[in-house]
Parts: sequence; structure tokens; C-alpha cells
Amino acid sequence: MVERRFPRTSASLEAIYAYVREFLASHGIQEEAAFDVDLIVEELFTNMVKYGVGGQPEITIGLEWKAPSLTLRLEDFGAPPFDPAQAPAVDVNRPIEERRAGGLGLHLVRRMADRLEYAYEDGRSRITVTKRVGT
Amino acid sequence: MLEIRTLPDRIQLAGRLDAAEADHVDRALKAVTGPVLLDCAELDYISSAGLGVLIEAHKRLAAAGHALTLTNLVPRVRNVFGYAGLDRLLKIV
Repeated sequence: MVERRFPRTSASLEAIYAYVREFLASHGIQEEAAFDVDLIVEELFTNMVKYGVGGQPEITIGLEWKAPSLTLRLEDFGAPPFDPAQAPAVDVNRPIEERRAGGLGLHLVRRMADRLEYAYEDGRSRITVTKRVGT
Repeated sequence: MLEIRTLPDRIQLAGRLDAAEADHVDRALKAVTGPVLLDCAELDYISSAGLGVLIEAHKRLAAAGHALTLTNLVPRVRNVFGYAGLDRLLKIV
């Protein structure tokens, strides 16, 4: 797995997309896969930015390719535990007046990812996502 | 990166509407007092941050008796609206 650290701010997103693209290209993975991978990593990263009060200034993002699946891992040290797999589901059938942005990000992640795992140990939150992608 | 072009008859979005850009779109939409036609032909990407801005804009405009209409969505962006169940709730033409 390759890893890179990014400052805990949404201003890191451009650098994160570039990192994802570089990784996908180096493994000959189709450019089209980048859309879903970008979305998954953005939603999980920005959640850590928003809710990781007390966390260290950088978040680590790891990527691994074992055909046909891409594994994405985000690690946050010092932030309070939060298991995205246990977040309440969004009811997409509610009328627009009752809809809001909260929870939509994790809803999209669950729609797009094949597997979402969470572990908390020694002050470290680790989210691991697996997704099948075409080459 | 996202470019927002406010034209007489529409607002064009070009690029990526993510958490880093959502506030810019929010400000552009709040500056409009009438109905809004949002041309998404060059919008390559949207995440929940962008969807949230559009949900709030829809509610605000509807309360004032105006419509928010989205047009020319590329398939991958439209899919995100579908996953969120918003393709049936927002006006997309």
C-alpha cells in the first residue's frame, strides 16, 4: 500500500484527486474509475476534517491495487471515534422539504463502495473501503 | 476547481463542485432573486457538499415562489443525484 499525508482541510482535495489519478494511471486503471474513487475519498476525508476535533494536523490516505479491487484507507490519529458504517441511513424517499445535506455523503459512499470497514485502536480511526474497478 | 459563470439567462458551472467549492456556489445562488437555470453541461463532478447547496437553494427559491432548474447534466453527475434520490425531487430537464 502506498500512503500519503494531507493537511486536515478541504483545501487538500485538489492534491488528493491528483494523488488518486497518479495511482490509478500507474496501475493502468481506467480514468472513469476516478469519479467514484474521488467521491468516496472526498466524503470520508471531509467527514474527518469536520468531525475530527482534536485530531492531528494531517490525515493519512493509503491506496492499494489488487485486481480487480482497489483498497482505500484513511487514518486519523487523535480524533474521536466515529464509525461511518454505523451512521443512520438516509431515507431518499422523503420529500425535498425534509431533505438536508447531513448524512448524504456517507449514503453515497455506501452506494459506491463494495465494502466499508472501521477500526479504532490506540487513538487511531481507520476506515478501509474496497471497490471493484475496471482496468 | 470550479468556474461559475453568471449569464443573463442562466448560471453555468464548469469543473468540480466539491466541499472546497460549495461555498462559492452557495454565494452565487444566494445572489439571485428570481428563478435559476443552472447549466451543468461542463460540470464534471459533484459530491454531497454540492448536493447540499442545491437542496438549500431549491428550498429557498421555492419559498419565494421561484424554481431552481438543472439542465444538461452529464450521466456520471446525474447518477449522483439518482443515488441521493434527488433526481425525482429537483427539477432536472
